[in-house]
Amino acid sequence: MTLLIFFGDMLVMAFMIAVVVWLSLRATRKQLDAASRIPLEDEDPHG
Amino acid sequence: MNYEDRIVTAFTACSVFWAVLGMLAGVYVAAELVWPTIDFGLPGLSFGRLRTLHTTLVLFGFGVSGLVATGLYSVQRTSHVRLFAPGLAWFVLYAWQLTIVLGGASILAGWNAGKEYAELEWPFDLAIAVAWVSFGVVFFGTIARRKMEAIYISNWFYGALIIVVAMLHIVNSLALPATFGKSYSLFAGAQDAVVQWWYGHNAVGFLLTGGFLGMLYYFLPKQAEQPIWSYRLSIVAFWAFVYTYIWAGPHHLHYHSIPEWVQSLGMAMSLILLAPSWATMVNGIMTVSAAAKKLRSDPALKFIVLSLAFYGLATFEGPMLAIKSVNVFSHFTEWTIGHVHSGALGWNALITFGTFYFLVPRLAGAPLYSARLANIHFWLALAGVMLYVLSMWGAGVSQGVLWLSLDKLGEVRFSFNDVMAAMKPYYLLRFIGGLLFLAGAVLMAVNLARTFSGRRTVVVAPPPAHAAKGLT
Repeated sequence: MTLLIFFGDMLVMAFMIAVVVWLSLRATRKQLDAASRIPLEDEDPHG
Repeated sequence: MNYEDRIVTAFTACSVFWAVLGMLAGVYVAAELVWPTIDFGLPGLSFGRLRTLHTTLVLFGFGVSGLVATGLYSVQRTSHVRLFAPGLAWFVLYAWQLTIVLGGASILAGWNAGKEYAELEWPFDLAIAVAWVSFGVVFFGTIARRKMEAIYISNWFYGALIIVVAMLHIVNSLALPATFGKSYSLFAGAQDAVVQWWYGHNAVGFLLTGGFLGMLYYFLPKQAEQPIWSYRLSIVAFWAFVYTYIWAGPHHLHYHSIPEWVQSLGMAMSLILLAPSWATMVNGIMTVSAAAKKLRSDPALKFIVLSLAFYGLATFEGPMLAIKSVNVFSHFTEWTIGHVHSGALGWNALITFGTFYFLVPRLAGAPLYSARLANIHFWLALAGVMLYVLSMWGAGVSQGVLWLSLDKLGEVRFSFNDVMAAMKPYYLLRFIGGLLFLAGAVLMAVNLARTFSGRRTVVVAPPPAHAAKGLT
């Protein structure tokens, strides 16, 4: 039982790592830069 | 079309109010540990009830109100749309604050579900669930209507906070009501303990860490006037944080009657958690380093930088305390209390204070009433939290040493009374530290109230161009 749970955990961890790698490689530099600037360009005080 | 900021102002005001009241309750129970007779024999002033009131007010009153305020402020701006269902947002405000008021009164009256950080009885649990889900509808409704392709990273953290806390609260609160003021958990024995600390630790994780990281990722770039140093790192840290935190709860149950492998798994995941936590800290510090000059003149930014330092400290200390061999020594000692407060005061409270010093002048359309008062608050807060944490470290290490000290026959050398008597100097220092921290919070309340009294009508709208496109 312990071994089963251990290997189950390792599978979940492998999935987690795959998702993180996929997400981090998915976006281009330009897209990331644009997203990172959102808080700096989100208000029009004269609106 | 303008942003809906009146609801943000209302939640901010409630948060400041509960901060002062909740910390006052905390200072009073700290004083009771030094001078036990000051409960005057009144049940409502007893340590058990006031301590529960303290945690409820600071967590759900101060913390959650601050998170809802900043979440509603930032989600509109990062989505370039007005709040979805603003009427529902006002319902959340009234329902949440009424729950805190009546729930707090019920605690003083002796109602208690017996679960740490979830002591409110079933009628309040139901009210919390309804208000929280309504908050989720407002938040995700706003995201769904966004005019930006990208969902900014702060919204991922606020979103995780809403989803996970809903899940934790509903499952942990499953109970059979016996009377209006008493219920019994659906879980029993070891299962109840596991469910409780799955809730308890992830409340720390997704409310006190994840939610406040959402605050950090929006308000730090705003205050530093710099984009986050590495957006890619923030995404990696988010997913690593979400996946890892949910497993770490069993470290609260080391050497208890739960399976050994569950305890070891909790320990291992707690150690892994150091990586995403420090990735975020590094990301924050590198962002600030690009705006180092502003740090000298901006009290709000000073609070945020200090909070990052305490975030790094607390997220290093937590995994260390989760190691089973360390936990033998530290469990049930004041070291744990020191750890919790280095996070709660040093990280959660300081980042909220810094954010409010940034937010309130913008909501009021007036400059901060007194930057000098804010600077005094900064030093009071730093002195208070340092005194608190250092005294509890001293107390915790002393307790660990004294409790594990055995004589030649293998009997404990010091009685419980001996150990408690040795704690008195530390408890006095902790009381003084708490008092300083509370004094700072009162100064902030006055400063923000005076700032708001000089308010003028402010209209802030989304920028005309919705240029940002990017990843989801």
